[in-house]
Amino acid sequence: MLEYIISKYNFWVYVILLLIGLYAMVGKKNLVKKLIGMNIFQSAVILFYVSIGVKKGGATVPIFLGNAHAAHGHGHAIIDVASYINPLPHVLMLTAIVVSIATTGVALAVLILIFRRYKTLELDEIMKIRKETGV
Amino acid sequence: MKVIAIAIILLTGGLLIYGVEDMPGWGDPDSPASSHVSPKYIKEALGKTATPNMVTAVLGDYRGYDTMGETAVIFTAGIGCILMLRKKRKGEGD
Repeated sequence: MLEYIISKYNFWVYVILLLIGLYAMVGKKNLVKKLIGMNIFQSAVILFYVSIGVKKGGATVPIFLGNAHAAHGHGHAIIDVASYINPLPHVLMLTAIVVSIATTGVALAVLILIFRRYKTLELDEIMKIRKETGV
Repeated sequence: MKVIAIAIILLTGGLLIYGVEDMPGWGDPDSPASSHVSPKYIKEALGKTATPNMVTAVLGDYRGYDTMGETAVIFTAGIGCILMLRKKRKGEGD
Protein backbone atom coordinates (compact mmCIF):
# COMPACT_ATOMS: atom_id res chain seq x y z
CA MET A 1 0.00 0.00 0.00
CA LEU A 2 2.76 2.45 0.96
CA GLU A 3 4.70 1.49 -2.16
CA TYR A 4 1.60 2.19 -4.29
CA ILE A 5 1.27 5.64 -2.73
CA ILE A 6 4.96 6.45 -3.23
CA SER A 7 5.08 5.16 -6.82
CA LYS A 8 2.39 7.68 -7.82
CA TYR A 9 3.26 10.53 -5.48
CA ASN A 10 3.28 13.12 -8.29
CA PHE A 11 -0.43 12.53 -8.93
CA TRP A 12 -1.34 13.12 -5.26
CA VAL A 13 0.38 16.52 -5.41
CA TYR A 14 -1.61 17.48 -8.51
CA VAL A 15 -4.88 16.28 -6.99
CA ILE A 16 -4.27 18.50 -3.95
CA LEU A 17 -3.27 21.51 -6.09
CA LEU A 18 -6.29 21.05 -8.34
CA LEU A 19 -8.65 20.85 -5.37
CA ILE A 20 -7.16 24.02 -3.84
CA GLY A 21 -7.79 25.82 -7.12
CA LEU A 22 -11.30 24.42 -7.45
CA TYR A 23 -12.18 25.41 -3.87
CA ALA A 24 -10.93 28.95 -4.49
CA MET A 25 -13.04 29.17 -7.65
CA VAL A 26 -16.24 27.81 -6.07
CA GLY A 27 -16.02 28.77 -2.38
CA LYS A 28 -14.43 32.24 -2.33
CA LYS A 29 -16.50 35.40 -2.79
CA ASN A 30 -13.70 37.76 -3.89
CA LEU A 31 -13.33 37.81 -7.67
CA VAL A 32 -9.53 38.21 -7.56
CA LYS A 33 -9.31 35.14 -5.33
CA LYS A 34 -11.45 33.25 -7.83
CA LEU A 35 -9.01 34.27 -10.59
CA ILE A 36 -6.00 33.15 -8.55
CA GLY A 37 -7.81 29.86 -7.96
CA MET A 38 -8.19 29.44 -11.71
CA ASN A 39 -4.46 30.03 -12.13
CA ILE A 40 -3.63 27.40 -9.49
CA PHE A 41 -5.99 24.99 -11.28
CA GLN A 42 -4.22 25.60 -14.59
CA SER A 43 -0.81 25.15 -12.96
CA ALA A 44 -1.92 21.78 -11.57
CA VAL A 45 -2.98 20.61 -15.04
CA ILE A 46 0.27 21.87 -16.62
CA LEU A 47 2.44 20.12 -13.99
CA PHE A 48 0.40 16.94 -14.46
CA TYR A 49 1.03 16.90 -18.22
CA VAL A 50 4.75 17.67 -17.89
CA SER A 51 5.17 14.87 -15.35
CA ILE A 52 3.62 12.40 -17.82
CA GLY A 53 6.58 12.93 -20.17
CA VAL A 54 9.22 11.97 -17.59
CA LYS A 55 11.21 8.77 -18.23
CA LYS A 56 13.32 7.05 -15.60
CA GLY A 57 16.72 5.57 -16.38
CA GLY A 58 19.07 8.27 -17.68
CA ALA A 59 16.72 10.08 -20.04
CA THR A 60 17.60 13.73 -20.55
CA VAL A 61 15.95 16.86 -21.97
CA PRO A 62 14.57 16.44 -25.52
CA ILE A 63 17.43 18.26 -27.24
CA PHE A 64 19.61 16.26 -29.60
CA LEU A 65 23.11 15.95 -28.16
CA GLY A 66 26.07 15.78 -30.51
CA ASN A 67 26.79 16.98 -34.00
CA ALA A 68 23.46 17.77 -35.60
CA HIS A 69 24.95 18.24 -39.06
CA ALA A 70 26.64 14.83 -39.07
CA ALA A 71 23.41 13.10 -38.02
CA HIS A 72 21.17 15.08 -40.36
CA GLY A 73 19.70 12.85 -43.07
CA HIS A 74 20.65 9.54 -41.53
CA GLY A 75 19.75 10.24 -37.92
CA HIS A 76 17.29 7.37 -37.70
CA ALA A 77 19.79 4.75 -36.59
CA ILE A 78 21.64 6.94 -34.10
CA ILE A 79 18.87 8.37 -31.93
CA ASP A 80 17.93 6.20 -28.94
CA VAL A 81 14.34 6.81 -27.83
CA ALA A 82 15.01 5.82 -24.22
CA SER A 83 17.66 8.53 -23.76
CA TYR A 84 15.28 11.48 -24.35
CA ILE A 85 12.16 12.31 -22.36
CA ASN A 86 8.83 12.65 -24.16
CA PRO A 87 8.74 16.08 -25.90
CA LEU A 88 5.02 16.10 -26.81
CA PRO A 89 3.55 17.05 -23.38
CA HIS A 90 6.01 19.95 -23.23
CA VAL A 91 4.79 21.25 -26.58
CA LEU A 92 1.15 20.97 -25.59
CA MET A 93 1.81 22.76 -22.30
CA LEU A 94 3.58 25.63 -24.06
CA THR A 95 0.28 26.17 -25.90
CA ALA A 96 -1.67 25.86 -22.63
CA ILE A 97 0.59 28.42 -20.90
CA VAL A 98 -0.04 30.91 -23.72
CA VAL A 99 -3.81 30.43 -23.44
CA SER A 100 -3.69 30.75 -19.64
CA ILE A 101 -1.77 34.04 -19.90
CA ALA A 102 -4.34 35.36 -22.38
CA THR A 103 -7.32 34.40 -20.20
CA THR A 104 -5.67 35.88 -17.09
CA GLY A 105 -5.01 39.17 -18.86
CA VAL A 106 -8.55 39.52 -20.19
CA ALA A 107 -10.00 38.51 -16.81
CA LEU A 108 -7.94 41.17 -15.01
CA ALA A 109 -9.15 43.79 -17.49
CA VAL A 110 -12.76 42.74 -16.85
CA LEU A 111 -12.13 42.95 -13.08
CA ILE A 112 -10.87 46.52 -13.48
CA LEU A 113 -14.09 47.41 -15.33
CA ILE A 114 -16.20 45.74 -12.61
CA PHE A 115 -14.35 47.67 -9.91
CA ARG A 116 -14.85 50.96 -11.75
CA ARG A 117 -18.61 50.45 -11.91
CA TYR A 118 -19.39 48.85 -8.52
CA LYS A 119 -16.41 50.07 -6.39
CA THR A 120 -16.01 46.57 -4.95
CA LEU A 121 -14.80 43.11 -6.02
CA GLU A 122 -16.84 41.07 -3.50
CA LEU A 123 -19.38 38.99 -5.39
CA ASP A 124 -22.15 39.20 -2.74
CA GLU A 125 -21.85 43.00 -2.52
CA ILE A 126 -22.01 43.27 -6.31
CA MET A 127 -25.14 41.11 -6.41
CA LYS A 128 -26.71 43.26 -3.64
CA ILE A 129 -26.01 46.46 -5.59
CA ARG A 130 -27.42 44.90 -8.75
CA LYS A 131 -30.59 43.86 -6.93
CA GLU A 132 -31.07 47.29 -5.33
CA THR A 133 -30.49 49.34 -8.47
CA GLY A 134 -32.03 46.88 -10.91
CA VAL A 135 -29.04 47.13 -13.28
CA MET B 1 -22.11 28.31 0.08
CA LYS B 2 -19.10 26.86 1.90
CA VAL B 3 -20.90 23.54 2.40
CA ILE B 4 -21.67 23.25 -1.32
CA ALA B 5 -18.05 24.11 -2.20
CA ILE B 6 -16.63 21.50 0.18
CA ALA B 7 -19.10 18.90 -1.14
CA ILE B 8 -18.01 19.67 -4.72
CA ILE B 9 -14.29 19.39 -3.97
CA LEU B 10 -14.81 16.17 -1.99
CA LEU B 11 -16.72 14.64 -4.92
CA THR B 12 -14.10 15.80 -7.44
CA GLY B 13 -11.24 14.66 -5.21
CA GLY B 14 -12.79 11.23 -4.82
CA LEU B 15 -13.16 10.87 -8.57
CA LEU B 16 -9.56 12.02 -9.16
CA ILE B 17 -8.12 9.64 -6.56
CA TYR B 18 -10.19 6.83 -8.10
CA GLY B 19 -8.75 7.77 -11.51
CA VAL B 20 -5.11 7.80 -10.33
CA GLU B 21 -5.34 4.01 -9.95
CA ASP B 22 -5.18 3.63 -13.75
CA MET B 23 -2.29 6.07 -14.29
CA PRO B 24 1.23 4.76 -14.96
CA GLY B 25 3.86 5.12 -12.22
CA TRP B 26 6.28 8.03 -11.96
CA GLY B 27 8.81 8.00 -14.80
CA ASP B 28 7.65 4.75 -16.40
CA PRO B 29 9.38 4.56 -19.84
CA ASP B 30 6.68 2.19 -21.17
CA SER B 31 3.74 4.41 -20.20
CA PRO B 32 1.12 4.90 -22.96
CA ALA B 33 2.09 8.55 -23.44
CA SER B 34 5.73 7.63 -24.10
CA SER B 35 5.20 4.51 -26.21
CA HIS B 36 2.54 5.43 -28.79
CA VAL B 37 3.52 8.29 -31.16
CA SER B 38 6.27 9.96 -29.17
CA PRO B 39 9.11 7.57 -30.30
CA LYS B 40 8.31 8.45 -33.92
CA TYR B 41 8.74 12.16 -33.20
CA ILE B 42 11.97 11.62 -31.25
CA LYS B 43 13.47 9.53 -34.06
CA GLU B 44 12.32 11.58 -37.04
CA ALA B 45 12.35 15.16 -35.77
CA LEU B 46 16.04 15.76 -36.43
CA GLY B 47 16.10 14.16 -39.89
CA LYS B 48 12.91 15.87 -41.09
CA THR B 49 13.28 19.35 -39.63
CA ALA B 50 17.05 19.69 -38.96
CA THR B 51 16.23 21.15 -35.54
CA PRO B 52 18.15 19.68 -32.57
CA ASN B 53 15.50 20.76 -30.06
CA MET B 54 12.54 18.39 -30.42
CA VAL B 55 10.12 20.70 -28.60
CA THR B 56 10.91 23.50 -31.05
CA ALA B 57 10.68 21.10 -34.00
CA VAL B 58 7.17 19.99 -33.02
CA LEU B 59 6.01 23.49 -32.03
CA GLY B 60 7.35 25.31 -35.06
CA ASP B 61 7.26 22.68 -37.81
CA TYR B 62 4.76 19.91 -37.14
CA ARG B 63 2.32 22.22 -35.34
CA GLY B 64 3.17 25.44 -37.15
CA TYR B 65 -0.44 26.33 -37.90
CA ASP B 66 -1.36 25.78 -34.27
CA THR B 67 1.37 28.18 -33.19
CA MET B 68 0.06 30.72 -35.69
CA GLY B 69 -3.38 30.34 -34.12
CA GLU B 70 -1.78 30.88 -30.73
CA THR B 71 -0.45 34.25 -31.84
CA ALA B 72 -4.01 35.06 -32.96
CA VAL B 73 -5.19 34.22 -29.42
CA ILE B 74 -2.61 36.55 -27.87
CA PHE B 75 -3.49 39.28 -30.40
CA THR B 76 -7.20 38.95 -29.61
CA ALA B 77 -6.53 39.12 -25.87
CA GLY B 78 -4.38 42.23 -26.29
CA ILE B 79 -6.96 43.96 -28.50
CA GLY B 80 -9.67 43.05 -25.99
CA CYS B 81 -7.69 44.54 -23.10
CA ILE B 82 -7.04 47.74 -25.08
CA LEU B 83 -10.71 48.12 -26.02
CA MET B 84 -11.83 47.54 -22.41
CA LEU B 85 -9.28 49.76 -20.66
CA ARG B 86 -8.82 52.69 -23.06
CA LYS B 87 -9.96 56.16 -22.07
CA LYS B 88 -13.26 57.15 -23.61
CA ARG B 89 -13.30 60.19 -25.90
CA LYS B 90 -15.59 63.13 -25.16
CA GLY B 91 -19.15 62.57 -26.28
CA GLU B 92 -18.74 58.80 -26.35
CA GLY B 93 -21.25 56.85 -24.27
CA ASP B 94 -20.23 54.44 -21.51
